[in-house]
Amino acid sequence: MFDPKLKEALGRVQKPGRYTGGEPGSVYKDKEKVDVRFAFCFPDTYEVGMSFLGEKILYELLNRHENWWCERAFMPWLDMKAEMERLDLPLYTMESKDPLTAFDAVGFTLQYELSYTNILAMLDLAHIPFYAKDRDDSCPLIVAGGPCACNAEPIADFFDVIQLGEGENQLPGICAEIEKAKKTGISKKELLRNIAKIPGVYIPAFYDVEYYEDGRVKSITPNQPGIPARVTKAIIRDLNEFAPPTNFVVPMVGAIQDRASIEVLRGCVRGCRFCQAGFLYRPMRQRDASLLNKAAQDLCANTGYEELSLSSLSTSDHSQLEELLDDLNEWAPKEHVSLSLPSLRVDNFSQSLIEKTTKVRKSGLTFAAEAGTQRLRNVINKNVTWNEIEKTCTIAFNAGYTSVKLYFMMGLPTETMEDIEGIAETAQKVVDLYYSNPNHAKGRGVQVTISCACFVPKPHTPFEFVPMDTAETLQAKQKHLLESVHSRKIKVNYHDSTTSFLEGVFAKGDRRLAPVIVEAYKRGCYFDGWEECFKYDTWIQTFADLGIDPAFYCQRPIGLEEVTPWSHMDYGVTHEYLVREYNKALAAQTTPPCNRVCNACGANHLLGGPCFDYSKNLV
Amino acid sequence: MITVRISFEKKNEASYISLLDMQRVMQRVLKRSGLPVWHTLGFNPHIYMTFACPLSLGQESECECVDVKTEAEAPDFAQWQTALNAIMPAGIRVTRVAPVEMKADRIAYACYRVSYPAQFAEQLERYNALDTAPVEKKSKRGKKVVELKTYVPRLELENDGEQVHFDLCLPAAQELTLNPALLTAFLEENCGAAAANANILRTCFLTAEKQLFA
Repeated sequence: MFDPKLKEALGRVQKPGRYTGGEPGSVYKDKEKVDVRFAFCFPDTYEVGMSFLGEKILYELLNRHENWWCERAFMPWLDMKAEMERLDLPLYTMESKDPLTAFDAVGFTLQYELSYTNILAMLDLAHIPFYAKDRDDSCPLIVAGGPCACNAEPIADFFDVIQLGEGENQLPGICAEIEKAKKTGISKKELLRNIAKIPGVYIPAFYDVEYYEDGRVKSITPNQPGIPARVTKAIIRDLNEFAPPTNFVVPMVGAIQDRASIEVLRGCVRGCRFCQAGFLYRPMRQRDASLLNKAAQDLCANTGYEELSLSSLSTSDHSQLEELLDDLNEWAPKEHVSLSLPSLRVDNFSQSLIEKTTKVRKSGLTFAAEAGTQRLRNVINKNVTWNEIEKTCTIAFNAGYTSVKLYFMMGLPTETMEDIEGIAETAQKVVDLYYSNPNHAKGRGVQVTISCACFVPKPHTPFEFVPMDTAETLQAKQKHLLESVHSRKIKVNYHDSTTSFLEGVFAKGDRRLAPVIVEAYKRGCYFDGWEECFKYDTWIQTFADLGIDPAFYCQRPIGLEEVTPWSHMDYGVTHEYLVREYNKALAAQTTPPCNRVCNACGANHLLGGPCFDYSKNLV
Repeated sequence: MITVRISFEKKNEASYISLLDMQRVMQRVLKRSGLPVWHTLGFNPHIYMTFACPLSLGQESECECVDVKTEAEAPDFAQWQTALNAIMPAGIRVTRVAPVEMKADRIAYACYRVSYPAQFAEQLERYNALDTAPVEKKSKRGKKVVELKTYVPRLELENDGEQVHFDLCLPAAQELTLNPALLTAFLEENCGAAAANANILRTCFLTAEKQLFA
């Protein structure tokens, strides 16, 4: 039976199944018999968090240790948050229903910048002080990892430990230190010193940041002996040593991504200059087809899922993809399992790929063209041509597809209104292609959807130096795009430029933003990534009241030799490479994929040798 | 091909799984079990399943059932029960697997046990002092007023010190189905016992002849 207070809260909220746990695949242990208790927190709703593959990887990995127990917590939706506050019900985990304060470590995943206030909301609901310096040794260790760890400076003061890079070895390493510390009874400070020796671990309190009067960072220096000037991210050299998880906690209230998913490769060879993930996860490493096939089959059998997604940044770059699909098709149709490939590229989509992925159910087709003209696609190094788009769409239309979704960005460096018109022209050419194709689905029209995001320059990319477009410019471009579309067959979706602005501020922000985030939270800002909750005016007022100019962070060009707030984070790619790529971008010169030729980005040092065997034809 | 009825309890965590979600959960459990259940023959084949009398979100039950079909000859139903219980989500426990004896349309009544924390005894007692308890029932055909006193003249309260309980037997047929939530909502509005504090447990179904449905 549930605690009466929880039962009462559940009786008053929408979709209470989000707050109850008990899903197939959840792990239950006897808390009296475990040595380390870890609360894995996703700072967004259950439906979003349960779609996240990283949590499934680490949940399985940690729970494999008999004496450790990893549980899950999510950000309650507005109604539940209000009920929990009214009933004084502290934030609890799904498995044991224990409050977060009962744990040895509370870990947050940093997936996107606009979830930062939700972290504060979750700490607040758990009655845990925000700032690391205000927490004594009785508080759980508050840790964080994920892509935004590459510049978590705006929220660094809230964390005891930040994890750079891949967690498969690192997080168990941290838990092992916690277990040792509990047995030997050492202080939190000593524990942090031990944890700091684990590859990829960044302890924010061990670094001092100095600023120039104009607001730029002057220096970032360690304040403890034995702490490196730069933290190098953790990496798994051989992904085959870590088979993908074959047990998922299967949500019963539909998650956004509610399907079996296996990570076929990590990193990306393409080098698109806007893409932060493409730089953070270098070098590209793939798992063997046979390992993937086995894991996929086990996962589907263990979960009962009828849809399997082959996930990665660019699945069609897996060198054994055709072989893998053949293996999967040996059993998947019999088991009523359909395959989906979420990250296909326009330039290596083939007839055979489409046949192999539509044996059970046919899903929609989405391609990322990213920019509307060839010149701009060269600037961003998205090496896709109109001919390739044409070829791909022809294959798709021949196969009976009637809708295509095209992803674009606006606000890219060197972009002009001509490039914006190019987006509409590209979509129009796809519409025309459909009607000129004699094999198109009989009697059915075509639907082309343009989905246009605002470009946000991100750290560790060649575009970290460029200023972000202002809201006025982005809105003018959105208006121009709408005016350039002349067909009812084309639908245009675009992002709110104000949320992108805040994302840009946090992405390139520094430690002086922490008080702003705390104050904005206190004034009611959370769920900033949700349009209905985003309070732009409150944010702007909070910045003003605290004397911080947000535009300084994202709308100012950064000097090529400037010390950035993230300059003590080493993701393997050298600064020289970023500068070289930036200059090539301005000249609209492209860089080939790195499995064809090494472009000397520096990330091979993470593996201790070349990333690919260039004597073999890998693509 | 025979139709097989899987009877189960739906309690605790599982009481918050909606009918729509329940269909997906059961689909996956049956798939994982590897049991020889029959799939529909459409473009998107799926396991054939029918649930009797959907249970409202948040209510518990000891008498839920789902019917499936099988082409297997002489299936071992005890083994089905073990296989299913090994993989059910928390709160769901299969109590019986057997060939269908009665069709679902034989169900005429559903019985419930309702419990409140003991401090609500006084508020619940107020219902018994009322002469009339009209509630508005919404259905696809519109709203109508139902007199609760026709079906629940009084609440026979049992107080075990911790909780106070009463039993209900409500119509659950095609012509009229009454959800116990109508009563708890009435008790909240007119007697001061907040519905969020009520625990509703469906205990059994009865036929028109008041025979136990199986």
